[in-house]
Amino acid sequence: LTSVVELVEGCRLPVLRKNQENEDEWPLAEILSVKEVPGKKLYYVHYIDFNKRLDEWVTPDRLDMKKLQFPKKEAKTPTKNGLPGSRPSSPDRDVVRDHTGSLLPTTFCAYLSTAQCPRSTNLHPTLTLKIVRCQMNGTTRRLVPSQPGRKRKNCGTDEDSQDSLDGIPSAPRMTGSLVSDRSHDDIVTRMKNIDCIELGRHRLKPWYFSPYPQELTTLPILYLCEFCLKYLKSLKCLQRHLTKCNLRHPPGNEIYRKGTISFFEIDGRKNKTYSQNLCLLAKCFLDHKTLYYDTDPFLFYVMTEYDSKGFHIVGYFSKEKESTEDYNVACILTLPPYQRRGYGKLLIEFSYELSKVEGKTGTPEKPLSDLGLLSYRSYWSQTILEILMDLKSDNGERPQITINEISEITSVKKEDVISTLQYLNLINYYKGQYILTLSEDIVDGHERAMQKRHLRIDPKCLHFTPKDWSKRGKW
Amino acid sequence: MSKLSFRARALDAAKPLPIYRNGDIPDLNDCVSINRAVPQMPTGMEKEEESEHHLQRAICAQQVFREKRDSMVIPVPEVEGSITYYDRLYKGDFRQTKQLIHIQPFGLDNEQPDYDMDSEDEMLLNRLNRKMELKPLQFEVMVDRLEKASGNQLVTLQEAKLLLNEDDYLLKSVYDYWVRKRKNCRGPSLTPQVKQEKRDGSTNNDAYVAFRRRTEKMQTRKNRKNDEASYEKMLKLRREFSRTVTILEMIKKREKSKRELLHLTLEVVEKRYQMGDFSGEVLKEVSAPLAEKAVFPAPVCLPNGNRHKMESKIKTHKQQPSHPTRHLSAHSEPRFDFTRPHRKYGRRPRLDAAPRPPGRPPQRPHAIADGDIKQYDFHSSGEEDSPLSPSSEPDEENDPDGAFIFRRRDGCHYLAPLGEQRWCSPPGLAWLADPGQRNSLTALSVPRRWVGVSHRRLGRGGRIVLDRTSSDLDRALRLLDPDVFCPSTASVTHHHMHTDTHVNAATHTPPAARTNPQCSLAQLLSNIQACRVRYFRPRPLHENGKEGSKKDALQHDDRKGRGTFAVANNSRTSLSGGITEEQFQSHQQQLEQMKQQQIAQSIHQQGVQPQGLQLPQTMQHIPALPERSHSHVTTMVSTDSVSKTLDSASAHFAASAVVSAPNQESKPHRAGINGILPCQGPRQTKFGRPAAGASSTSSVRPSGGPPRPAPGVPQSLPHGLGPLSSG
Repeated sequence: LTSVVELVEGCRLPVLRKNQENEDEWPLAEILSVKEVPGKKLYYVHYIDFNKRLDEWVTPDRLDMKKLQFPKKEAKTPTKNGLPGSRPSSPDRDVVRDHTGSLLPTTFCAYLSTAQCPRSTNLHPTLTLKIVRCQMNGTTRRLVPSQPGRKRKNCGTDEDSQDSLDGIPSAPRMTGSLVSDRSHDDIVTRMKNIDCIELGRHRLKPWYFSPYPQELTTLPILYLCEFCLKYLKSLKCLQRHLTKCNLRHPPGNEIYRKGTISFFEIDGRKNKTYSQNLCLLAKCFLDHKTLYYDTDPFLFYVMTEYDSKGFHIVGYFSKEKESTEDYNVACILTLPPYQRRGYGKLLIEFSYELSKVEGKTGTPEKPLSDLGLLSYRSYWSQTILEILMDLKSDNGERPQITINEISEITSVKKEDVISTLQYLNLINYYKGQYILTLSEDIVDGHERAMQKRHLRIDPKCLHFTPKDWSKRGKW
Repeated sequence: MSKLSFRARALDAAKPLPIYRNGDIPDLNDCVSINRAVPQMPTGMEKEEESEHHLQRAICAQQVFREKRDSMVIPVPEVEGSITYYDRLYKGDFRQTKQLIHIQPFGLDNEQPDYDMDSEDEMLLNRLNRKMELKPLQFEVMVDRLEKASGNQLVTLQEAKLLLNEDDYLLKSVYDYWVRKRKNCRGPSLTPQVKQEKRDGSTNNDAYVAFRRRTEKMQTRKNRKNDEASYEKMLKLRREFSRTVTILEMIKKREKSKRELLHLTLEVVEKRYQMGDFSGEVLKEVSAPLAEKAVFPAPVCLPNGNRHKMESKIKTHKQQPSHPTRHLSAHSEPRFDFTRPHRKYGRRPRLDAAPRPPGRPPQRPHAIADGDIKQYDFHSSGEEDSPLSPSSEPDEENDPDGAFIFRRRDGCHYLAPLGEQRWCSPPGLAWLADPGQRNSLTALSVPRRWVGVSHRRLGRGGRIVLDRTSSDLDRALRLLDPDVFCPSTASVTHHHMHTDTHVNAATHTPPAARTNPQCSLAQLLSNIQACRVRYFRPRPLHENGKEGSKKDALQHDDRKGRGTFAVANNSRTSLSGGITEEQFQSHQQQLEQMKQQQIAQSIHQQGVQPQGLQLPQTMQHIPALPERSHSHVTTMVSTDSVSKTLDSASAHFAASAVVSAPNQESKPHRAGINGILPCQGPRQTKFGRPAAGASSTSSVRPSGGPPRPAPGVPQSLPHGLGPLSSG
């Protein structure tokens, strides 16, 4: 049996975790990082085929060393990060990708660049040593790091550990860009850097990396002002801050209020501090959000719930002031404490209400996350089914509707209407023409779902005048 | 079930889709689901994530159950609710407004410090509070300022003292504490901030750098190609506004100083009055020790209402240094031009831009003098309290000095004018030849005598004011016959043609005079005769102009007494000295002729009309005329009964002024209405008062401090002539 000491990044092995039914499971995981805290080692693991948000630091006793797979030697055809999936590209992300476009560093280079960055050395205490050793030997062991990037699954999980004996010397890879920092970047951004965020009465466990000031990432708890979202290193600082911060709502205009739910519109250019703080917080829960560029071209719509303490942020979505690709949402998030209570759908509904006022159809920017896809699909399904079921046949004719009409009524982009109809399996070909069939279970399922959907946007409560941002000097 | 044997048409979004309920189609099995004929829409997710276990499970669950099942949801990290101290932390006193909340733009930034005290700071505070009162907010403001003033380099204690207006002990304690804390701090600042990009691109891949500015490539979406340009314009605008703010602040400061000076002066005067110090004895006694920064009892008010001329008085005699080279600058006189400071920021750098240091040997005396003149400009505007003046770039358009224009240079300390010293210690005659100085030997016609060295300027209402200067020639000149130089018509034409070179010639002569000042009188006279040194004498009076001229002369005399401090001076008219008596004379003769022709003509054409009725109208349209006539006319016009008071002499002059413009064309009948040509500005110089000519060339400049002829002289002439010719 290999000793624990020999566990390096890239190793795969089953790791104990509890599932939702609180049962023990041993999903396969990959070690992304190793760190030593007084007395023990901790391993940052990513569960294969699970979303990154479940990645965590685990103690050695949760590792099943018997089934350890060492990193494969040959699987390391460097993969391209951020391979475009099925999403169309957005300009913003394209820029980022171009920036980091010198892809495909060799794994060795990846290690070098990691080691060169002093800040990351604490994450890889053993790594630096290894590299030094390699260089002194004059040989290069193929140090196989965790394969960053999303193609890691392609490496296969069922492969044997034939090359698990690391230390087979091979020629150093001198191709590829030496300076590409993308790999380093990736190992940093792949790992959660904040342990815990305290926001208002909640403590949140971040899901993803967020570029909060680096000195704050070592804190056990990062404190956020509930209203201005300023980050503070301690409770004392938060107390002091609260004596000076008199915000009790997001610093924008309230454009919607019904009951305790309000929406505030914040201009990313006029209110940079808040917008940035909001983005930093949101990044903790959005994997594909980029904070590469400033917030100027965006509007932020923050949904709040009111009580005697003020307007508490529930979620938000951002929106480009001018979208060339019909996006009506850039990023959208319901904060974890409010998730699974219908707020996400409310946010989505609101975004389409805005599009209705603008007289446009819209679609969320891609890629969608898993939760995003589920939420949107659910919203689209319910919205479309609502229309289809309400259609009355006039003069005995069978009710009918075009996809364009659905799109116009709902402001849901045509493609999304079609994909929803497909997903619901409503489109059929019958007697030489396309028809929509509403099956029994679809109708029942819809009616049950609508009964649970209490939170709705009331268009009458929306006070929103769209601005023409293409006019000069508006943003 | 039939196999799909045909090719389905594409799904048409514009085509109506009939909606069937489950029971509506009895032969549902015949219905073929042909989703594959419809292009499969992408989910919009990253491919790899799409296959993730929990998502797939959730999707399946939804497909099967048509609703969410708790066990099938995507698991997320846990959330801990109910922070116990929450209610203590956030006060529960917020009341919702009835209306929707509408924030005021710019209303958000309260001036609170960004720094928030931590428990470590609290300990310091507790310690300090045993000795003194230090509020948390006050402490935070201090740290905040220190932080914001420090980049990579911490502010020093000295800087901190300037930064924080605090008690020394307190400041030292907080400063030391801050330095210690800052050194132990892991981050770049005590107020944690998101890492910012570096412009060199080194941070392009730094994961902790966020919110990069989009300046390299502005998001130029459609219809906004000019965004970048306008962005830059805005940046520029912003810069310039901030400059404006600076200037206004300086002005504010200056005006405050002025007010203070006034108050102090008033106080001094009152005190003196109480003490009965009418002779100034006490003051002299008291101010003797303060000689270095001597203060004069009262700001001197000039007759023309100038409000900033104290400097020449205030500067002490004793400060008179023995800078041999300084004298050039010393002769210049301060002149304040309100438009000046606002024009500091021109655009074009110029080759000859560097202002010459005042102490430099005067190889090109006029250039230096120009520089110094401007330098005093600056100071006479009262900005002594900001010794490091911003650089300036006057615009060429308004500065006839051309390449020799003075420009303030950044960071230079410009000395105050030395005021009267120059009169007390005439350094020689060199400056006489300096066209930049405008000083010339001057003689009066009535009474016929030498005034000595003086310079002329236009006073209120077109009066000539002679600012007299003492020199060691005075005595000799007194004995001299003013008519010693007889103007000759021959020389006039000569100078006429060479006016431009005249000045330059003059600048070449001084070295002799300068090196040898004592043997200068004779030389000077010969120089004058050779037109190398300027000499001014009013034109001999015409018979019919006598009365007015007497007045003029009287006025001159009036002013002479104050000459030394009546220092309004158009220092920029470098041509000012370039006109001689001869030229003046010959022009007057020409004018006389032309005028007579003109009058004859007009009488001939329009029948006999009383001149007196016509001319005032005319004159009202002509703001600036050759000085003598102008002085009369304005006097006359200002009274109500114009026609009565306009005596023949004045009318005569007015007429001569009117016709003077075409006259100098030497082709009076060439063209134009009634043979009168529109005047051309520069020509005016040759017969009018030089300054008038100069100002007509620089007509763009808004009128400065001292009254000058209105800028539009040449342009206004044709209009002025309207009534005369056609009425």
